[in-house]
Amino acid sequence: MPAETAVLAAVGANGARRNSPSTGAMVSQAPSRVNDSELIRAAQRGDRSAFELLVRQYDQAVLRLALHLTGSEADARDIYQEAFLKAYRHIPSFRFECSFYTWIYRIVTNLCLDHLRKRQTRREDPQTTMDASGREVDTLERVSDDRAGANPERDLMRRELGAKIAQALTRLTPRERMVFELKHYQGLRLRTIGEMLNTTEETAKNTLFRATQKLRGALAPMR
Amino acid sequence: MDCDWIKDNIVFFVYDELPDDARFEFEQHIQRCIGCRRELDAAREFKAGMAALPVQEISPNFLTSNRMELQEAVEHAQQQRSGWGMFVFDFAGWMRQVKLAPALCSALLMIGFAAGTLTTYQIVTRSQVPQPPSQAVEAAITGIESMAQQPNSNRVSITYDTVVPQTKEGEITDPAIQKLLLLACRNNRNSDLRLGCIDILKSQPEDTAVREALVYALRYDRNPGVRLKALDGLKGYVKDDVHVRDAVLEALMHDTNAGVRSEAIGLLDPVKADSSVREALQVLAERDQNKFIRSESKRYLASTPNLD
Repeated sequence: MPAETAVLAAVGANGARRNSPSTGAMVSQAPSRVNDSELIRAAQRGDRSAFELLVRQYDQAVLRLALHLTGSEADARDIYQEAFLKAYRHIPSFRFECSFYTWIYRIVTNLCLDHLRKRQTRREDPQTTMDASGREVDTLERVSDDRAGANPERDLMRRELGAKIAQALTRLTPRERMVFELKHYQGLRLRTIGEMLNTTEETAKNTLFRATQKLRGALAPMR
Repeated sequence: MDCDWIKDNIVFFVYDELPDDARFEFEQHIQRCIGCRRELDAAREFKAGMAALPVQEISPNFLTSNRMELQEAVEHAQQQRSGWGMFVFDFAGWMRQVKLAPALCSALLMIGFAAGTLTTYQIVTRSQVPQPPSQAVEAAITGIESMAQQPNSNRVSITYDTVVPQTKEGEITDPAIQKLLLLACRNNRNSDLRLGCIDILKSQPEDTAVREALVYALRYDRNPGVRLKALDGLKGYVKDDVHVRDAVLEALMHDTNAGVRSEAIGLLDPVKADSSVREALQVLAERDQNKFIRSESKRYLASTPNLD
């Protein structure tokens, strides 16, 4: 049985379907992008409530991305605050050369990349993360099983697998991790990811290829 | 299109990133090659298996606290911007505009040249006209900047700053008077003055600028009396204005004065069913050190049990 079959067996046949609500979450976050330019212009004139409306269109997706990448509520909070404060300070110089959502995600991804690079230097233990109060939480606890009729054995297997995936993700380079995150969990097109990371679609494509190869390799011993 | 190409592109097929023509070729190959089909199945299983680490949903509590924190930070940044922005010239922004408008750039150069010539002419002409005597006697001297004695003489040259007090009278609805009242609310260090100004302004909270000043006073004023006055002025807007509601909630949660907190909890009665208010009340009912706040929080929560 190939490694991926073992993965699927542990997840259950609904694994792919469970993933779908999160996939493309960011895309579905921006239904009223048509109004963005009006709001941006108002925010550029100093209208704070317009800026708050812009924030509310994207902030859940930003927080979700930061939380999944950092695994820590405190870090996600820092990234959220810094990203939107930066956006507020620089919105007068927004030139409408890209969409607001690409712009804000460029800020967020840069901050997340910095965070991942710092963490890689510190070599933090990926098995434990911190919640908002600074309490250490085992990565296993992050993996929930809310399927009806789930049995404890299957639940445990699923939790172990989730922890293995989390560990495998930390072995990717920050850039590989970011591209994989934006493609797999956020459901973005590679062209958009390239724009956000200030690179070409081709480079993003190569990075995604390397990331999936590494992840499949890391999860292979689970047969 | 051989098996190596297929293996290199399986991941892009799975993530729907292949162009239509390549996708068609890929599907054709997969139908006739068992080895590549197995590879594709394995890649699909890998993608599905990654769902074992799902993206966590953000709790409303976490989201709300982040939004409140950001709101405060933005408010602070705005104050800084309005404070310094008037005096700091945005050279980069100006350069961008000039870069994009060559005609404007030429016009600015011509205007600059003309203004320079005119100014030089005026300086030369004025230097021959005797200066009128200084009127500084009427103004209060606030400080001496510098003093220099001319060599080999009894003459000295002193540079000093003066302040000329001015008085303005008018109706409280007069925009100029209102502007001065708003300034006094935020900038003056005299608590009595702030108290008086807030007392006058709270009669017109329908004005957005006044309401903002009241919210500012409630959040940041050091004097509890001023904060209480601001709270009184805001009470009619807790239901309709989310910023007012957030400020009152914040006062309830964090104000250092028990009187202000007791007053704040009374104001939340019309919005006690609101989810953010209920969450705050639940925390206070369980953990607050003030007995009155605890019992009032419990009473509010008990009066809306059907929403639990």
